[in-house]
Amino acid sequence: MIPLRLEELSVVYGPRKAVDRLTLEVGPGEIYGLLGSNGAGKSSTIKSIVGLVRPAGGTVRVFGYDVQKDALAAKERIGYVPETSMLYESLTPREFLEFVAGVRRLDPGRAAERARDLVTAFRLTDEFEEPISSLSNGTRQKVLLVAALLHQPPLLVLDEPLNHLDPRSLRLMKDLLAQYVRNGTRGVLFSTHAMEVAEQLCHRVGILDHGVLRGEGSLASLRERGAEGDATLEEIFLHLTQEDAGVRAALASLERT
Amino acid sequence: MAWREALRLSRVAFLELSFQAIYAIRQGNILPPGDASKLSARARSRVLQSKALVAGLLGFLTIGAALILHDASLVAVRLLPNPIPVPVFQTGVLTALLSLDVAFLWWTGLQVLPTFLSAGVLPVLEPLPIDEPTLRQTAVILYLRLFDLPVLTLLVLTPLLVGFALGPLAGVAILPGVAVAVVFALVLALITGRFFVRRVQGSRSGGGRALLRWTYLILWVVPAFGLFGFVTLAPAFFGALTTLSANGPSALFDLLSGSFPFSLASLPALLSSGANALPVGGGGFVVLLGASVGYLGLAVAAALWMGPAIRAIGLTPPGVPVPADPARVTLHTTGRVYAVLVKDLRMASRTPGYAFLILLPILDAGALGLLTYVSGPGPGAGTSLALGAVTTAALLGAFFGPAFFAIEVVAYSYGRTLPLPERSLVLGKVALIGAIYLVAGGLVLALADLRVDQPLVFLGFVVAELPAVLAAALFELGMLLRRARTRGLPLVNLYTGAWVAVLVSIPGLFIASAPLVAFETLRNYPQPVALGAMALVALGSLSVIAPFVLRRRSS
Repeated sequence: MIPLRLEELSVVYGPRKAVDRLTLEVGPGEIYGLLGSNGAGKSSTIKSIVGLVRPAGGTVRVFGYDVQKDALAAKERIGYVPETSMLYESLTPREFLEFVAGVRRLDPGRAAERARDLVTAFRLTDEFEEPISSLSNGTRQKVLLVAALLHQPPLLVLDEPLNHLDPRSLRLMKDLLAQYVRNGTRGVLFSTHAMEVAEQLCHRVGILDHGVLRGEGSLASLRERGAEGDATLEEIFLHLTQEDAGVRAALASLERT
Repeated sequence: MAWREALRLSRVAFLELSFQAIYAIRQGNILPPGDASKLSARARSRVLQSKALVAGLLGFLTIGAALILHDASLVAVRLLPNPIPVPVFQTGVLTALLSLDVAFLWWTGLQVLPTFLSAGVLPVLEPLPIDEPTLRQTAVILYLRLFDLPVLTLLVLTPLLVGFALGPLAGVAILPGVAVAVVFALVLALITGRFFVRRVQGSRSGGGRALLRWTYLILWVVPAFGLFGFVTLAPAFFGALTTLSANGPSALFDLLSGSFPFSLASLPALLSSGANALPVGGGGFVVLLGASVGYLGLAVAAALWMGPAIRAIGLTPPGVPVPADPARVTLHTTGRVYAVLVKDLRMASRTPGYAFLILLPILDAGALGLLTYVSGPGPGAGTSLALGAVTTAALLGAFFGPAFFAIEVVAYSYGRTLPLPERSLVLGKVALIGAIYLVAGGLVLALADLRVDQPLVFLGFVVAELPAVLAAALFELGMLLRRARTRGLPLVNLYTGAWVAVLVSIPGLFIASAPLVAFETLRNYPQPVALGAMALVALGSLSVIAPFVLRRRSS
């Protein structure tokens, strides 16, 4: 089964088209990186996958389930980390995870064991009983990651998941994602601005620009389309989005002032 | 100069505050679909509407008091069970009005304060190069703007209407009382709000701490309960005034003259009827005037204190984590409906605005039970008492739907990404509403039954009405959820979405009161018949509404 398939997905906000007929697929055992500048349509794409935004056109299928028509079946298979901390501020991490585990109808024993392992791994033990409102951004991000991983979902949808994380948690998360898809059935879609992370981690990347997919493939296949044979992902990105000239012009302008 | 700059800053900051109050982006929501350029204007308009609603209610209270004052001689001498001197009666009415103003504004402040803090507008200004006095003044203006329409209504309408009823001099004389009442209410809201932000919102989890939080939250309900309490105790208050004034000058009346708001409320009567209007001696007169000046001074000091206090409340330091043993990390997982119920209770235990709605009917039931116990009604009073208790609990229950949906505003977007069917969400909240109704009913039953030995009558009423309370809650939640689905809005919070809450509550009130009307209609028939009809109407509404709201729908 294909973990995630988007076909001709369009997202519109008033007169503005955020995503324009986007088609992509995250295969089994694959980590797919969605790259793009601010406002390129990454978050809108992800929000339409998890059911937060109703697409203006096209379909989103999670393991064959249409997100619009079989929302519950699709959501049961997704672990989601939002771009901004969308948490129940007045709950503690334990209370929040109990709510998530209850809604996901997890086996109590297994949920407790899994939570203990994840909380220990992310070093959340000391903050486990503190209200989320009092936690730092990095700690909140860890709570969201634990909640997304609690039910071992076959599809992880992560919107800028590595924001705010300390170096240890960053490393842990990268290794965990690589390990997560190793069984060959799960998939991960994540958006990021960090090109070096995408370069290290992703089997394939898609480059979004103004809601349109400008390029897609493995780093090697993208290099073939790039200007130079040994180009980095950042150079490829700037080339495909035609931002390289813009960056040079901006620098020159700043130098003058 | 700083005030001008503060005014300029507060204009922008208040727009952001309104925006956050309606769309709750900082609380984890995403923007609703549609034209983003219209969202700010919509937020501003909805906040204005809610302020107008509060101002309207305060205006209604003031008009009511002015009408009574206008016919004071008729009411005081002819309509009350025992005649009371007109100036004393006028002072009593104005004391009641000022007390209600304080309680209502204080309650409003407590409801608004969490929104004020969660919007986070003050921390945004802190790092900017703005001098200290300007920041303080901006904070004051922002806080005052939350109350501007209600406060203006009081400051303008009260002197005008009191002047209309008692003469222009009396109108001017009530102004210090209104101003002090406003300052006291705003300061009380701030002091209690600050206390709860520190002790309740920041409280860690754990059984003992939850109990402590709920204990604190009972105190939170005091101002709102004061509104009910005053209405209940008004006859006793005027009775005591009659007795005191009949006895002439006394130490007790002098004590009353020094209390707030009686001293300030007596100024219109003193100015319009002369120094002998009240039964106070020379000493009492000094106490009265001294207390009035003292309250004015206290209000000025309190107003000056507000500036730094408003800033400080927005910058509460985060809690320090306590080292914990990893072996103690555990989860207690439940089913979906129970998970929603527990989540709402936990959030309410740290959010006074929501906790108030859980505690109010329970406290109200407790007070009703206590009053019944104290007054010791005779045999046969069970039916009337039970009907009264059930009516209060059921009608208060009809307001719960919007209130408990309001909790979903927090992290609404995250909740929508979870596989939570709408029926589980609705059932979790309806279960909580049913539980509150039963606890309130049980409390009245337990206390009243100590005096009125008719437990089955009470039980019969509570059980007969229960399906209607559940039906009202189901209907209201179903409507709100439908609106949320189509509009994509975090729709209701207790202050800023007041119109939506009120509109949805109206049909809910009809549903909850239909069985009570059925009972009243058949009251002359044998009680089992009337009670049976009541139960049938309640069950009928539940059987019509439940399938409609709970039909399977993918979410």
